Amino acid sequence: MTAKDDNVVIRSLTQIGACGLFLLTILAAIPRSLRHGRETIRQIWFVGAMSLTIVMTCGLFVGMVLGLQLYDVLSIFGGTSATGTVVAIAIYRELGPVVTALLFAGRAGTSVTAEIGLMRATDQLDAMEMMAVDPIAYVAAPRFLAGVVALPLLAVVFCAMGVFGGHLVGVTWLGIDNGTFWSNMTATVDVHKDIIDGVLLKSIAFGIVVSLIAVFQGYTTPPTSEGVAYATTRTVVASSIAILALDFVLTSFLI
Amino acid sequence: MTQRRSYAVGTGLFIVLGFAALAYLATQTTSVANASQGSSYVVETHFANVGQLKTRAPVKIAGVRVGSVQSIELVPGKEEAKVTLSIDDRHKDIPDDSVATIFTSGLLGDQYVGIQFGRSKNPVKEGGEIGLTRPAQQLEEMLGKFFGGGSAPDRLGGTFHVTGEFTNVGALQPGAAVKMAGVPIGSVDSVVIKPGSSEATVTLAIDKRYSQIPDDSSAAVFTSGLIGSQYVAIQPGGSPEYLAEGDSFVLTQSALQLEDLIGKFLVNGSPSDNKSGGAQGSTQPDNAGKK
Repeated sequence: MTAKDDNVVIRSLTQIGACGLFLLTILAAIPRSLRHGRETIRQIWFVGAMSLTIVMTCGLFVGMVLGLQLYDVLSIFGGTSATGTVVAIAIYRELGPVVTALLFAGRAGTSVTAEIGLMRATDQLDAMEMMAVDPIAYVAAPRFLAGVVALPLLAVVFCAMGVFGGHLVGVTWLGIDNGTFWSNMTATVDVHKDIIDGVLLKSIAFGIVVSLIAVFQGYTTPPTSEGVAYATTRTVVASSIAILALDFVLTSFLI
Repeated sequence: MTQRRSYAVGTGLFIVLGFAALAYLATQTTSVANASQGSSYVVETHFANVGQLKTRAPVKIAGVRVGSVQSIELVPGKEEAKVTLSIDDRHKDIPDDSVATIFTSGLLGDQYVGIQFGRSKNPVKEGGEIGLTRPAQQLEEMLGKFFGGGSAPDRLGGTFHVTGEFTNVGALQPGAAVKMAGVPIGSVDSVVIKPGSSEATVTLAIDKRYSQIPDDSSAAVFTSGLIGSQYVAIQPGGSPEYLAEGDSFVLTQSALQLEDLIGKFLVNGSPSDNKSGGAQGSTQPDNAGKK
């Protein structure tokens, strides 16, 4: 893909440019790929439903540890009744979409990269082209689409589990009043700013970025076992950086 | 085919679960949950000061949420806020002489309207008014009640000198004000420790116009405002005899450390439970504690 004598900057720019062009190709192929709707559904099952366990477990623990930490800090100010509010806002605005996207990159992004990369390495993609089956429409687009659909749903589940975990620690364990916990939360958390802008918008953006990186890395991997390994690693690294950088940019626009 | 069917079912379940979680988050954990649930009735109240009270803030009886604040508006031409409360129909039995108070949950929490029951047999009616209210307590005012406040006086005419012994004068400096009932009546002449004594002797120069200070009055070192300068406050006693030149105060109260005061405030400063307090909070702290 890239000449060996290019320096890092040129190589990165080439990657970013190729990635952007790849996104356009995928978007153009989406209508065609929807004719293979079953494949998209299978991919949603694979990247979404199969990630539920890890996302729910992590959400629960993140919520619990937030509840514990905030209770500890807020008790200094006599403000433990705000625990629910802060847990909810922290999870909705930041931790929910970001941690879910990071988990998603590790759990689903890598397997997508490895799968497509192996298809590339074993010439399956070329075979498809030989049979006049467009691999972008049949392999790349459904996986991309599945990621974009699945990540927001996972993020929402993560948030629900997080709030549940915060409630578990704050109310059940540490004894914050149940009514105070919920009423302070409902008094402060805003549907538009926290749920729509916070959870949904961010996680849709992360879904696009993570899925694109995963599919692109798999699709353009060098057709060797080593190449597939590198591509998988790059998916995680590039996704993580992209998620966190994009999170900052999005937040600065949304806040 | 069964393989594919199971994918479809699982995916469908996953999507339904996602949307269910979204619906739950949006309706149960956000301000949407505070929108009116079920039928409610409206009660009007008037507050001298609503503080940080916001629309949709909870209305509570005995700490239990029974409704929400529907609107807050200024009464035209008056320094008074009309607060409309929307209360669940289930709670129809609020006595019409109940007291509505604006409380703060915790020190930093949101404000809410608490209703404390009166003794009347008649419930407040739909569209009626809860007449007795207590406004939001401003932290500044509450602190202000603890500390005095003011500036050093002009020295007019002659002065006479009285002394007082304090175990701790804090940061009291010569030239600081001496006040009675908050009015400057003199200044601190000197702050010294007499040889052989462990107490500070403070000499006060008091204006001759204020010579009729009962000789059992007490002197205390107060601070103006939170970070203000310290001054000596004199609380008159009831004796028929007056202090004369060279006399000393029998009763003195040393400077209180701010940390102690804040500590006391945080512990004791919760809103009054005094139901008979009526419209005006009777929470004026007694800072005349004698030594």
